[in-house]
Amino acid sequence: MKRQVLFPIIGILVIVGGLLAWSIAAGNSVLLGLDLEGGAEVVLEPAEDIELTGTALDEALDRSVEIIRNRVDGLGVAEPDITRQSNRIVVQLPGVEDQQRALEVVGQTAELRFRPVCAILPPVPIEVDGNPTSGNDGENEGPVGLLPSDEDAPPEEGPQSDANEDNNAATPIGIGCENLGFTQNDALGMPNTVADDDIAENPVILPLLDSEGNPYQRLLLGRTMLTGAALETADASFAGLEWSVFPTFRSGEEGIDLFNAAANACYNRQPICQVGQLAIVLDGVIESAPTVNTPYFERDQIVISGNFDQTRAEDTALVLRYGSLPLEFGDPTDPTSGSRVRLVSATLGQDALDAGVVAGLVGLALVALYMFAYYKLLGVAAMLSLAISGTMLWVMISWLSETRSYALTLAGVVGLIVSIGTSLDSNVVYFEHLKEDIRNGRTLRSAVDQAFPVAFKTIFWANLASLIGAAILYWLTVGSVRGFALMLGLASILDLLATYFFIRPVVKFLGMQKLLQNRPWLSGLPTEETAEQK
Amino acid sequence: MTLLKRMYRNETEVPFSKLWKSITLCSLAVLILSVGGIAFRGLNLGLEFEGGGAWEVPAENIEAEEVRDALRPLGLADARIQTGGGVLRVRTELSKVTQTALDSGEESDPIVAQVTTILAQITGQEETAVSVSTAGPSWGEEITNKAINALIVFFIVIALYITIRLRWEMAVGALVAVAHDIVITVGIYAIFQFEVTPPTVIAFLTIMGYSLYDTLVVFDKVRDNEHLLSNAKLSYTEVVEKALNQVFMRSVNTSITSILPVVSVLVVGSGIMGAVTLREFALALLIGLIIGTFSSLFIAAPCATVLRNKFGDEDSDKRSYRLSEAVRRRKKSSIPTASTPSNPAIPPRPRKNKRR
Repeated sequence: MKRQVLFPIIGILVIVGGLLAWSIAAGNSVLLGLDLEGGAEVVLEPAEDIELTGTALDEALDRSVEIIRNRVDGLGVAEPDITRQSNRIVVQLPGVEDQQRALEVVGQTAELRFRPVCAILPPVPIEVDGNPTSGNDGENEGPVGLLPSDEDAPPEEGPQSDANEDNNAATPIGIGCENLGFTQNDALGMPNTVADDDIAENPVILPLLDSEGNPYQRLLLGRTMLTGAALETADASFAGLEWSVFPTFRSGEEGIDLFNAAANACYNRQPICQVGQLAIVLDGVIESAPTVNTPYFERDQIVISGNFDQTRAEDTALVLRYGSLPLEFGDPTDPTSGSRVRLVSATLGQDALDAGVVAGLVGLALVALYMFAYYKLLGVAAMLSLAISGTMLWVMISWLSETRSYALTLAGVVGLIVSIGTSLDSNVVYFEHLKEDIRNGRTLRSAVDQAFPVAFKTIFWANLASLIGAAILYWLTVGSVRGFALMLGLASILDLLATYFFIRPVVKFLGMQKLLQNRPWLSGLPTEETAEQK
Repeated sequence: MTLLKRMYRNETEVPFSKLWKSITLCSLAVLILSVGGIAFRGLNLGLEFEGGGAWEVPAENIEAEEVRDALRPLGLADARIQTGGGVLRVRTELSKVTQTALDSGEESDPIVAQVTTILAQITGQEETAVSVSTAGPSWGEEITNKAINALIVFFIVIALYITIRLRWEMAVGALVAVAHDIVITVGIYAIFQFEVTPPTVIAFLTIMGYSLYDTLVVFDKVRDNEHLLSNAKLSYTEVVEKALNQVFMRSVNTSITSILPVVSVLVVGSGIMGAVTLREFALALLIGLIIGTFSSLFIAAPCATVLRNKFGDEDSDKRSYRLSEAVRRRKKSSIPTASTPSNPAIPPRPRKNKRR
C-alpha cells in the first residue's frame, strides 16, 4: 500500500529533478524582456532614392511596420518594440545580443526572385585577355558590379550619369536572358554581383554554393521574371531528406500564370531561358536552380529545396508569407545610410527586476506562513507542490526562451507572483473538501479518498476554462497578450499536474501516518472532538 | 462560537441572499462611477498606444537614472530612457497637437524645447546635436483590434462552455461578474488617471482570468448542491446560499494567498525598494483580485439565481441532477479505490448537516 503512494511521489520528484538537470545542462536560461535587460535595435531609414512622398510614403511605412511585426511574431513570442519615428522604423528586440541575428529577423531586403539561368560559369572569374570589362583599378577595389551602368562597365554601353539614379534606363530592354548587354565571354571575367547592384530588372552573376557553403559554380542569371509578390503563402517542412519551402502561388495572371509563363519558356528552351533552368533567388542567394521538366504547374505544387536547415527554411517561409517590405531601406550595416543596428539598454533595468524578485520572495514567505498557520502539515505539502510546479514553470520558460524567444518582462514577473496565489487555490479547494468530510464524520483515511475526486472535478473544469481562454488568446493575438496567454495556459496545465500527481499521493501518504491519525490537529483538519461537538 | 472559529470550521451561516440587494446597489453605484470616469475623463493612454516624442543625443557613460532625475521637474519621470551604442534615447508622451506640430516641423511646443535643453545640458552637447522626432505607437491599432476580436471569441466560447458544463444562467452570471470586475478596474485607472501601458492591459487580462476561475469554482459548488432541491426541498436561493457558505472559507483563503504577494509587490517592491513602475500595476491587480473574489459571491451568484428563479423549470433541475450524479459515478469508478472500502451504508457525497 505504501508503495502505491510513494511511487508517484518519488516518480514526480525524479521527473522534475531530471527536467531541471536537463534544463541546466542544456544551458537554457530565461531571456529577459526589453524593459529588464535591453536588446538589439535596428533603425531603418528609407533609402535616399525613394520617390514616394506624402501619404504614399506614410502608407508604405505603416505597411512596413506591420510586415516587420508579423515577421517577428512569426518567429516566436518575443515582445518586440516596433515604432515609427517620423520616417524611420525602430525595431527593438529583447535579448538579441547578436546584432546579425537582429538584422536577419528584421530581414529588410528579402525578396524572392525567379530568374532564368543564362549560362553556367566556373566558380572564379576567368581573366580573358584584353577584356575591357576589367578596368585598371576596378579589380583592386574588391567586388564590383556587373551592371552596364557600373563604373567598370565599358563607357559606350550606357550614359555616364550617376549609376544609382537610372539603372533601368542604362540596361537594354529585354526579357529574361534576351539582350543582356554583354556576351557570355564577357561574363566569364566579371565578378559576382554585390548586393547593392542586385536589381530585379538587371541580369546578375551569383555563386551557387554546395552544402558546405563553398561556391562550385557561378550562374549568369537573366532579368527577374516574377517575384515573391506572386505568392499567396508559404510553408516550411521536412520533406524527404531535407528541409524545403513550399510556396503556394496566387491564382490568376498576377500569380501562377506568371510562373507558368516562365516555366514554359524554360521547358521549351526559348531564348529568354535557353539553359532550361529557373533559379530561385532569395536576397541575392541562389536557393536552387532546378531544371524545368514540365511546362505547367499547379499553384501549390512547387517545392523550393536548397541547403536549408530548419531555421533557414522556416525564416524563408516566413519572409515569403508576409511579403517583402514595400519600401527600400538603407543598409543598417552601412554607416553612411541613416539605418543602423546597435545594442540598447533596458528601459527599466536591474533595479525594477530586483524589486520584483524581492517582493515576490517576501510574498512567497508570507503565503507560506499563512498556509502553515492555517493548514499545518497540509500547508507544507501545498508549498512543496508550489515548489514543484514553480520549478516546472521555470524549466518551461527557459525552454521557451531558447526555442521561441519568449522574453520575461516585468509584467511577466508580476504575473508569476500573482500565480503563486492562484496555483495554491487547487490545494485550498481540496483541503476545504477534506475538512468538510471529516466534520461530517468520516475518518481521515476515508475522507482523503472521497474528497479528492470531488475537489479535482471542480479544479479540472475551472482550469479547463482557463486553458480554453488561453488557447484562444494565444492563437488570435500578437505581442504581449500572446505572452500572457502562454503563461496562463502553462500555469493551468502545471496546476492540474501538480494537484493530481503530487498533492493527491502526498495527502494520501499523510493520511496513512499513525502520527497524524492520532493528532489530527497537525494536519489543520478538525479534531474528533470538534466534529462531535455539533 | 466566535465568527472566526465558525469560519475556520466552514460553519458560517452568512445570509448571502439578504445581502445581495444592498451589495448589488453598492456595486451598481461603483459601476456607474467607473463608467462615468471612463466616459468623461477617458483613459490616460501611454506612449505605447498614443505615440509621443523621441529624442536622440550622442552620449557616452550616462546613467538612465541621471536623465530621469533631470526630467522629473517637467513631470516626465516616466519617460522611456535607453542608453547604448553611444546614444541616449528618450521617448515620452506628447499630446496629439504637439505631435502634429513636430511632424510638420513647425515651431515646437515649449515642453519639447525644454526637454531638448535638459538633454543637451546633461550630455554636454550643443542643442543642435539633439535630434527630435515623433514616435509612433508600438502597440498599434492592429494589435488592439486583434486583441478585441480574440476577447469576443473568448467570451462566446466561455459562455458556451459554462452553458454546456453548468447552466446558461451561470454563464450569464459569470460573464456579468467578469465584466463588472474589468469595468471597475479600468474605471479606477480612468478616475485616477493612472497611465495605461501594455503591462496594465496584461493586468486587466490577469484579473479577467482570475475572476472567471473563481466564479467557476463557486458555481461548481452550487451545482454539486443542486440535489438538495429535491432531496431537502430547499428553494434554489437557499441551495445557492448554502453553497456560498460552504465555499466561503475557500474564497477567503484563496484571496489571501493571491493578495499577499501582490501586497508585497506594492509595499516592498514599490514602497521600500522604490520601483515606481510597479506601483500602479500592483494597485490595479490588488483591487482586481479583491473584486474578483467578491464578485463571484455577490454578483455572479445572485445574477444566476435571479435568472434561474425567473426562467428555470423543475425538469431541468432533475435532469441536471441526474447528469451530475452520472458524472460523479463515472469519475469514482475511474479512480482506484483505496485501502479502506467505504461503507456502502453511508452514501458518499450528500451531506448530513440538516441543522437548518
